[in-house]
Amino acid sequence: MNFAGKVVLVTGSSRGIGAAIAEAFAAEGATVVVNYVQNASAAEDVVAKCKEVGGDATAIQADVTSGEQIQLLVDQSLQDFAKIDVVVNNAFKPYTFDPDNRKQFADLDWQDYQGQIDGALFSTYTMCQAVLPALKKRTQGSIINIASDLVARPTIPYHDYTTAKSALIGFSRNLAAELGPLGIRVNCVAPGLVYPTDASRKTKERIKEMIIAQTPMRRIASPEDVTGPVLFLASDWSRFMTGQTLYVDGGLVMK
Amino acid sequence: MTLKAGYLPGVSDDDIEWQTLSYNRDGQAIDVRVPLLSDEQMKHLSAHIKEKSRHYLKSLPVSDITAIIDTAITRLLDRNNAYRQQAEEYLPLITGYDAEMIRLGLTGYLKTFRQPELRRFIAEDFANPKLLDEFQPLPKGGYGRAYGPDLLAHIWAGNVPGLPLWSLISGLLVKAGNIGKVASAEPLMASWFTQLIAEIDPELGECLAVVWWKGGDVEQEQALLNQADLVVAYGNNETLQQIRDRTPITTRCLTYSHKVSFGMISKTALDMGKAWEVAHQAAFDIVRYDQQGCYSPHVFFVERGGAVTPQEFSQYVANELDCFEEKYPRRTLTIEEAGGVAAWRQSEEMKAFADESNSLISNDGGTWSIAYSAAVEDLVPSGLNRTAKVIAVDQLDDVAARIAPYKAFLQTVGVAAPPAELHRLAGLLGAVGVTRISALEHMTTPEAGWHHDGRFNLLDLVTMTEVERSAEIASEAFPNYVD
Repeated sequence: MNFAGKVVLVTGSSRGIGAAIAEAFAAEGATVVVNYVQNASAAEDVVAKCKEVGGDATAIQADVTSGEQIQLLVDQSLQDFAKIDVVVNNAFKPYTFDPDNRKQFADLDWQDYQGQIDGALFSTYTMCQAVLPALKKRTQGSIINIASDLVARPTIPYHDYTTAKSALIGFSRNLAAELGPLGIRVNCVAPGLVYPTDASRKTKERIKEMIIAQTPMRRIASPEDVTGPVLFLASDWSRFMTGQTLYVDGGLVMK
Repeated sequence: MTLKAGYLPGVSDDDIEWQTLSYNRDGQAIDVRVPLLSDEQMKHLSAHIKEKSRHYLKSLPVSDITAIIDTAITRLLDRNNAYRQQAEEYLPLITGYDAEMIRLGLTGYLKTFRQPELRRFIAEDFANPKLLDEFQPLPKGGYGRAYGPDLLAHIWAGNVPGLPLWSLISGLLVKAGNIGKVASAEPLMASWFTQLIAEIDPELGECLAVVWWKGGDVEQEQALLNQADLVVAYGNNETLQQIRDRTPITTRCLTYSHKVSFGMISKTALDMGKAWEVAHQAAFDIVRYDQQGCYSPHVFFVERGGAVTPQEFSQYVANELDCFEEKYPRRTLTIEEAGGVAAWRQSEEMKAFADESNSLISNDGGTWSIAYSAAVEDLVPSGLNRTAKVIAVDQLDDVAARIAPYKAFLQTVGVAAPPAELHRLAGLLGAVGVTRISALEHMTTPEAGWHHDGRFNLLDLVTMTEVERSAEIASEAFPNYVD
């Protein structure tokens, strides 16, 4: 897979899955826009690693819950690289996956839902609005939205988080239907529990063991496991796929 | 693989000099042997055709002629027929066009020459088709009969496979003896068709010939022009001017020169439900035979104010061209053709560079390109071979005035607009010289009996012999039963 000459924007890529995705694209020769919101030095580390593995990269700070900042992020990327080929909507509102201390439905207020919906959906919606004029101009492009396998199998019912990710998949399918005739593809990647990341650090061994026991491939996903399907959906190898969700969880969910 | 082109009744193959045309598209080599006649042989062939057409064809009723053509066409429509199979196998190799596009194109094209279509074709030009068979009473008084020439010379272009059939069949319908000169680009289809006619009716086969010479060979061309009673020629203005200059003054010369066709899309065709389909149709017209026809669109004038903007429409067309590239890949271009595309793209790139409201979309391989201009531009031919331009306009009604200066070059306009607008636009377009208005997706498939470049295909080929009323009245004084 060769992404030389391709410009890839990955939101929330200073750490975790986002960072792994950024580096994987760079290793295939891509120019990567590493978006981050707080940790500039972590983002710079990712940029350095991207360059080390043979790609090019630049870090751009932007809070994807802000429409204005997303627009600036896209404008800056286009100014620097003249085009965008791939957008990976990976950033999400911080959420702690702590099975023992999760909120029950009765304890959740609408603000919890709204917060996650804004984090998953508003940011992706806004990013798509901002980047689409540039993609349409060339009638090509691949948008990849990171969901979760919890949408298909809520092993732990993280109501607010999973509801927002479910909405993201519905959003992606509709966008895929509208943009297909313009040559732009929209797909989702739905990882299972990915460890280690900052978000999953609090997940107890007991839970991990439970998931491992039920996972045909008998382990938990690493950030690097997620990168392959993302690169595939970004590449011409998947040029006739749109509106799809690829589950990356060792077979825990089979659809 | 070696094939033989040409068809020469009354001339032995052994007496003729044969040349070999070599084709090598995408690594598949094929040779076609073509006959090169001497001046003397051309004279002999012409005399043979003239004599046979006088003695046989002129007395053959038109209904018999249409039946014979119909039989030939029915065989060519049959996928199991040997000629059809040859056409499907070799035309893609010779022309480079996608095999599937040729297969579908041939069927659609040949269907326009079946008997009912031929009868319609004749009825378009002759209110009374019997005029071609015998003297018929004329409304003004007297009698008249239409005669086709003894020798109709065709000088064909090779841009679209099978195109020579139009004029060859027209010639047959008016009972002309025919000698057609095929282009090196596609010498086979006309040759096969004449052979097929000869198999069905050997005597009619004696009234047809297919010859070849290298384009621009003045001596060969002159030999045929000297013998012809009427000349029909296709090509660019320069070629046609030379042919016309060399045609004897007493011989009529009908020329079909290069044309520019375009599309018009009303804002009412640009809602979310219809825009894609319209773009699909527009792209098909661009893709079919890689814009080599006079009816192929170069430009689309797209009206502002619809739910889908003209620029978005150009993006839809771009994606459709990309999809068609999968289905019917563009043929490999010659160096000249590739140069034409490159020059056009470069010019459009400069425009997009200079003004951000313009754009140019292409695929990586450059096998299609669609340019967009936000400002009204003049009608300029595209770089051909799947290059076209979308021009945004405030009102389609304004387009006619804009294209008026190009009257001599206008031909087909593909229109997507509601009925009242279609008819209003037809009035405006007809007034500035457009001769054919079709639906999008049909620009490259004219209907049976169309008037090529607005002319009467059959009427233009005949001369009328009239027995005036005075002769009839005067004759009444002379019979032996006169009182």
